[in-house]
Amino acid sequence: MHIMEGFLPWQWCLVWWIVAIPCLMLGIYQLKKILAKDREALPLLGVTGGFIFILSSLKLPSVTGSSSHPTGTGLSTISFGPWITAVVCAIVLLFQSLFLAHGGLSTLGANIVSMGIVGPLVGYSVYRLLRNTPVNIYITVFLVTALADIFTYVTTSLELALAYPAETGGFFSSFILFLGIFAVTQIPLAIVEGVVLALVFKYIIALKPDILIRLNIFSEEKINKARNEQS
Amino acid sequence: MSFKYTLEIITIIAILGFCALFLCTNSTMNGPVFAGSDSAGSGLIARLSGIPLENFKPLISQWHPPSGEIESCLFAFQAAVGGLMVGGVFGFWIGQKKKA
Repeated sequence: MHIMEGFLPWQWCLVWWIVAIPCLMLGIYQLKKILAKDREALPLLGVTGGFIFILSSLKLPSVTGSSSHPTGTGLSTISFGPWITAVVCAIVLLFQSLFLAHGGLSTLGANIVSMGIVGPLVGYSVYRLLRNTPVNIYITVFLVTALADIFTYVTTSLELALAYPAETGGFFSSFILFLGIFAVTQIPLAIVEGVVLALVFKYIIALKPDILIRLNIFSEEKINKARNEQS
Repeated sequence: MSFKYTLEIITIIAILGFCALFLCTNSTMNGPVFAGSDSAGSGLIARLSGIPLENFKPLISQWHPPSGEIESCLFAFQAAVGGLMVGGVFGFWIGQKKKA
């Protein structure tokens, strides 16, 4: 989903930076607030951030004959919401643009918007929708993770289609072409990522259920139900 | 019925399914190269804009890893940082649980 340096006109780079900066500022503010309130949230932040580091470094082959990488943003989205996730993603994307030439500094805003903001926002909406319903915790984690992943790539397609509308068919035709490259490749990866992060969430519930209850990520009743199913 | 290891079994099945899909794609597609979708996206940008790929110049100059090996090394470093964070915290939590 990295838009390479120089592949986005400067006007669009500016637009996406303008969208990204307030979200990052909100994320830094929320992060300070959470850590000041409960230092025990820091290890959970480490785990969720760690998965973004790991999964976004894995380039995996897919059905379209090309490779792509998962985003790993699902756990962070559920635990800390989309704005803090945007901050963690910004750190990962900055590392990749500086040391790996994946993405670039001018396109960093656009890449933060797709991986750190829109993908997690879609995931977070699903989480808020399902949190207080009888839907199983792991199904919720799976859906949030898989949708956050796919919508990251849908957003990249949108960003590129806006900057490069096709000569015939315009924006819509271009959007479909970019979706064919990014989103279709991502479907199997998003499914596996969703399953793996649901399993990781199971281990977090087993080891540290109190932090999930204290941060009001899921209700005590739901966490206890999930724990009972494990034993 | 016990659900103790249901998620582990589902994860193994999903990973095996993913591997099978890769092998199937590799053997049935005509010359899949499994290059990055980012490169494919850049190719499509060049096609849509009518500007050759080599004419896209960075707006801000950028350091490139001098070889594929260095790039792999840096990706491995990124994954290792993540692995350390995850492993360190899980180890800490397990220690806390045992102590309790």
